[in-house]
Amino acid sequence: MAITILPPVVEDVDVPYSDSEDDAMSVDSDGGVDLAAGDATRPSKRVRLVEGTNIGAGVLTPGEIVTDDPQWMRGHGTYTNPLSTSIIATVAGTVQKTNKLLSVQPLRARYTPEIGDLVVGRIVEVQSRRWKVDVAAPLLAQLPLSAINLPGGILRRRTSADELQIRTFFSEGDLVVAEVQSVHSDGGASLHTRSLKYGKLRNGVFLAVTGTGGSGASSSSVKGTSGASATGAGAGGAAGAGGVVRSRRQVWTINTANGGGDVDVILGVNGYIWISKHADGAAAASSTTENVSITRMEEMVSSSIYSSQNDDIPPQTRREIARLAQCIRVLVNGGVRVDEETVMGAYEASLQVDLEVGDEEDEEDRGKEGREYLEGDKARRILDLVLQQL
Amino acid sequence: MTAQRQASSASQTPLISPAELSYLYTSLSLPDGPIRPDGRSPTQFRPLTAETDILPGTNGSARVGFADGTQAIVGVKAEVEKTVVAAEALNLSQQQTQEDYADNEGGEGQKTSSHGHGSWVQMSIEIPGFRDDDALPVFLSEMMREPLVESVAGAGDGLGGDEMAGGLKGRLVINKRWHWRLYIDVLLLSQPLSYPLPLLSLTTHLALLSTKLPKLKSKGEEDPFFDDDWNAAEYLYPRSQSGPRLSSTKQVRPPVTLLVISVGDNVIFDPNREEIAVADTVLAVSVTQDSDSDGLKLLSIRTVDPPSRLTQPGVSNSENVATLGSTAAAEEAAMTDPSTGEEVAGVWRPRRGGVKRRTIAKMLKLVLQKGGVGEEVLEGLEGVQVG
Repeated sequence: MAITILPPVVEDVDVPYSDSEDDAMSVDSDGGVDLAAGDATRPSKRVRLVEGTNIGAGVLTPGEIVTDDPQWMRGHGTYTNPLSTSIIATVAGTVQKTNKLLSVQPLRARYTPEIGDLVVGRIVEVQSRRWKVDVAAPLLAQLPLSAINLPGGILRRRTSADELQIRTFFSEGDLVVAEVQSVHSDGGASLHTRSLKYGKLRNGVFLAVTGTGGSGASSSSVKGTSGASATGAGAGGAAGAGGVVRSRRQVWTINTANGGGDVDVILGVNGYIWISKHADGAAAASSTTENVSITRMEEMVSSSIYSSQNDDIPPQTRREIARLAQCIRVLVNGGVRVDEETVMGAYEASLQVDLEVGDEEDEEDRGKEGREYLEGDKARRILDLVLQQL
Repeated sequence: MTAQRQASSASQTPLISPAELSYLYTSLSLPDGPIRPDGRSPTQFRPLTAETDILPGTNGSARVGFADGTQAIVGVKAEVEKTVVAAEALNLSQQQTQEDYADNEGGEGQKTSSHGHGSWVQMSIEIPGFRDDDALPVFLSEMMREPLVESVAGAGDGLGGDEMAGGLKGRLVINKRWHWRLYIDVLLLSQPLSYPLPLLSLTTHLALLSTKLPKLKSKGEEDPFFDDDWNAAEYLYPRSQSGPRLSSTKQVRPPVTLLVISVGDNVIFDPNREEIAVADTVLAVSVTQDSDSDGLKLLSIRTVDPPSRLTQPGVSNSENVATLGSTAAAEEAAMTDPSTGEEVAGVWRPRRGGVKRRTIAKMLKLVLQKGGVGEEVLEGLEGVQVG
């Protein structure tokens, strides 16, 4: 069947129409956010909040009054009018209460750069001595010409020749993996690629995931240290859990099944993801670091670091790359955080689901049609398997 | 704003690096079936959610949402309007009417007057971030309105044939002096993540399927007078009473416009933004089902300017200054091996237009053949609960 048409998902019959509309399409709609608890209207919710019960049971919208009781202090995601005591939400999200501090956790937020973050970005503008990079932050990040590895085999200062050839390193549309070097006072970031791990991306596919990205996820991981597991535990945790989480390893290599060979996954903290065929050159460079001097390494890498020519990639590898990309999409749609553990889990699960489906529909020719598309039942099964492991 | 525009118009390129384009193109043009980035089969559509009759103030409405979050709402509103007839045509038609009355008591009056006007159907499309006189909404609405009004069913001796004689235009005629005017308002609710044509077309189709017109009580050339019981209203496109199976083969249905792209020798349906960005050709194929023929009827094919034409070419390693190490080496290389514009494996070259007849034929065959994509889409839409 070429097309599947599903009836709309209505979360709750009591919810007014416009709300259920949002819910049916919203990625973050599941996860214990109970909109219709007792037909919660604004006044009743406020009363319950002041009484200290059931905080965080609803989604607040920007401009909504969280409370007007002066005993609360305002935290992130709120503001107060100097003339009144009421605390007003500035983002759409759930209320979080820490002692007497009220903050609103956004359902979705842009990425807030922090020093040391590994990010994937797309060059959107080339200026005379720097690039402007889209890293899904409120401001474009900048990548100065002096913060990249210049080709030529040695570490050297930039020259006017480099300035003239700036487009041969990165030009508009190119994807780079970089590290946040510094964050300015306005929230804009400066990047650098002065490492062999960083540079232009090729041989793979790009994927941008929604969710809270780095900022929301990092705060939920802070919560994780204080006890609660982030996935599906509480309303706040589940709502803020989707997206890439800052973790120990953002880059790793998967040995894929079905003859796909090695595939690299780069999870940018900003929610941009790159999945590509494993580059042999870099592996050789990193595994033989003991007998290659630093200057020599530069030389080895410079031959391919600014290339925009793809290697020869066999179809099996392409299939597995597509499968990995889908696994990540399934995780994001399910509101599960994306890190090495969950991605590997989802990948294993997808292979397992494939086996199950293969057994069931071996004779039917329908089974073959679009069987690599992970959606609907398959997605649910994969999510279940992943969540079991956590 | 500019990024938004780039995202939505097929003639503008989204910002994608040459390496990605090359990877995508090679994946999609593999000889033994394309590997799409989301794992779909070439003819598979993204799953969508659909419902009808969502706006109480309209004659018919529908909402369709794709899994990626883009969704559209269509409302159809009908209004009775006086037909303006040119003087000689009026004379002519009066004569005809008199003849008709003489012949068969006026009951067949519909038959002669069953030619309507294309301008009786008005379509407006709203896309966030675009003015309503921008090229994209205007082009899209014309692309969808045209097949709608031009989809003329034949003489019509099928099940619903009599009512639908003259196609939609004929259906809008009440009598010689009065007719219905349809306003179709299409609203894209979300940012257009891919070329929005298929989404809008499917939604419009559903809205028209669910459109009801009040039952006419007056007869012949009287001033129209309607039954105020909404339950008695009739569907604009008559639905069959004898089960959905039969109806899907013989009933007149509003047209559906499908977006089809070709990459290499492969034909791909319902492309997403990245897939359109590497397409060799982008076709908008309008098909409909009428009471005459067994299968589907092809109404129009339009080419949509493929954005791959405007993408940045990749630079092969042999020409890349940065990969050669030094400027001198690069200049030397350029001297000895001037760029010939030949295809190098793994390097993106923008497509330079041109499509083989064979490819077009293959695309159309996939849409039109029995049990093909067109039939499956129409069948799927027919299955949506109406009312």
